[in-house]
Amino acid sequence: MFELARENPWLSRAVLFLLAAAALTALGLGGTAAGDLFAPLVGPRDPAVEAGFGRNLLVGVMLAGAFIANLEFLRLLPFRWQVLVVWVELLALFYAFVLSFERDFGVVFAVNDSGVSNLYFLITTGAFTTIYVSLIAIAIACVLALLGALGKLSRNGAAYAVATFYISFFRGTPLLLQVVLIYTGFAQLGFVLEAVPAGITALSLCYGAYMAEIFRAGIVGVPHGQQEAAKALGLPSDLIFRKIVFPQAMRLIVPPTGNQFIAMLKDSSLVSVVGVWELTKTAQVLGKRDFQVFEFLIAAAVIYWIMSVVFEVLQSRLEAYYGKGHRR
Amino acid sequence: MNSIVKLGVAALLASAVAVPAAQAGETLDRVMSTKTLTMSSDPEYPPQSFLNDKNEMDGFDVDVGKEIARRMGAELKIVTPSWDIITAGNWGGRWDMSVGSMTPTKKRAEVLDFPAVYYYTPAAFAVHKDSAIDSLDDLNGKTIGSCGGCTYDAYLMKSLEIDAEGAPPFEYEVEAGEIKTYETDTHAFDDLRLGDGTRLDAAFSALPTIQEAIKSGYPMKVIGKPAFYEPLSVATDKGDPEFDAKITEVVAAMKADGTLKQLSEKWYGVDLTSVD
Repeated sequence: MFELARENPWLSRAVLFLLAAAALTALGLGGTAAGDLFAPLVGPRDPAVEAGFGRNLLVGVMLAGAFIANLEFLRLLPFRWQVLVVWVELLALFYAFVLSFERDFGVVFAVNDSGVSNLYFLITTGAFTTIYVSLIAIAIACVLALLGALGKLSRNGAAYAVATFYISFFRGTPLLLQVVLIYTGFAQLGFVLEAVPAGITALSLCYGAYMAEIFRAGIVGVPHGQQEAAKALGLPSDLIFRKIVFPQAMRLIVPPTGNQFIAMLKDSSLVSVVGVWELTKTAQVLGKRDFQVFEFLIAAAVIYWIMSVVFEVLQSRLEAYYGKGHRR
Repeated sequence: MNSIVKLGVAALLASAVAVPAAQAGETLDRVMSTKTLTMSSDPEYPPQSFLNDKNEMDGFDVDVGKEIARRMGAELKIVTPSWDIITAGNWGGRWDMSVGSMTPTKKRAEVLDFPAVYYYTPAAFAVHKDSAIDSLDDLNGKTIGSCGGCTYDAYLMKSLEIDAEGAPPFEYEVEAGEIKTYETDTHAFDDLRLGDGTRLDAAFSALPTIQEAIKSGYPMKVIGKPAFYEPLSVATDKGDPEFDAKITEVVAAMKADGTLKQLSEKWYGVDLTSVD
């Protein structure tokens, strides 16, 4: 195929066009909103009658043509514009997909007797809780991860054993059970935690265990010569770790940690079992009120996505900061 | 997911060593001194408990909880742990009672106390509104739908045991010709609405659920008197008989002066607080 494309670009375009047209025709889009676009050409469709092959073929061929034209158009653009245009196109497709559910999304923006819109409540109660729970938990998790990594790198048998036991247990059991264990189990021992602190504790312990391995890999990933050079300069060993090894390890630690944080934003929904109204729970509660759970879950999904994008940007800033020694 | 939580909770219970129970009077003292009665509730269970248009918790269970608090001279505070967490017991004083339409089974009574039954869910038969059936006798030999594995299914199979305190006795009055079971009762309603006898002649479910469905447009009607009643109770953590006695007293007073009946009529349109 690639060879064909190089030798005979027009033939390859024709093949691509035929494949796309066949696939789109097979989808049978004649009876959809896309099919109605061509009503001026072939007359309006009777909604009671299933769309025939002719209509499906027409829509398939037209959409395939648009697809090829779009590809040709993209070829003319510089890289940044290509990225932007494809993002906008995919977002438009996603939007059309959601609209095709034919749900009443107006309810998300509706203002009820409380004087605020449902979206406002969803953000101030749900998204706010999700963010602050996750931020506190990731901060504690970073400390636990560093301790876990140092323990696992330690030559002290007890420290090594404690670190490996901690990492093994909290990586090896489901977060949901950890939440229940800490909330209900600790209470039985007379150590009663409220819902939010219990949830933060569980998230920190679980993610600390995963991130301990990330931190360990980061520390090990700093070339040994760095330590030796520092030693040769007569630096004390704690200074070597703080000023030489750790800043360089951060370059390797930041990207996967950002990844973990974004995962945590969504895993924090598990904390709702103990009664924390984070984003998912709030969406479900609002949805149950009017039997419109689906609309609110879509709204929550979009809010999660926007939050993730914001933190992705922050992560890339942080990455640039710690990676400045490696920029070319 | 649910069964995973249950499993986890079961494992926790199994591993629980002798637990220091709450001191007698401890819960009552806390409620009286802080003037706050904390209740656990499910925010996704209308019309018993849900978030209303003012973004406040509302519903039959919430109103009952508010009234109990008022009569104890306290403010009601609501927390929303999941059902599995509530039924696992050992609340650690984080909330004082559950007013959550809980059936007081003997198994649950091992970890929780049930000081006051405050209403009963009647089980009733519904038929399509065009149906000629108009008594329980007419239902014999018909095709009846219900949720699988639930109390309604058990009743039709004649193997129902409500091992709950204060459950009124009942008799098997209907002999189904064929039993069709569904994941939940509402799927049976969906089959019934297709037409009289199309798939089902009748559906068997909780009366409030049937009435809720009729309200949202299902073409059904209720037949005869309820077949049996499931008692639903306030639950408290083990270990404070004085608090339990107070709850029993307050709920009895609410029953005696008609407050409970009023609340039932407000939310269900009928009086479900007594069995006659």
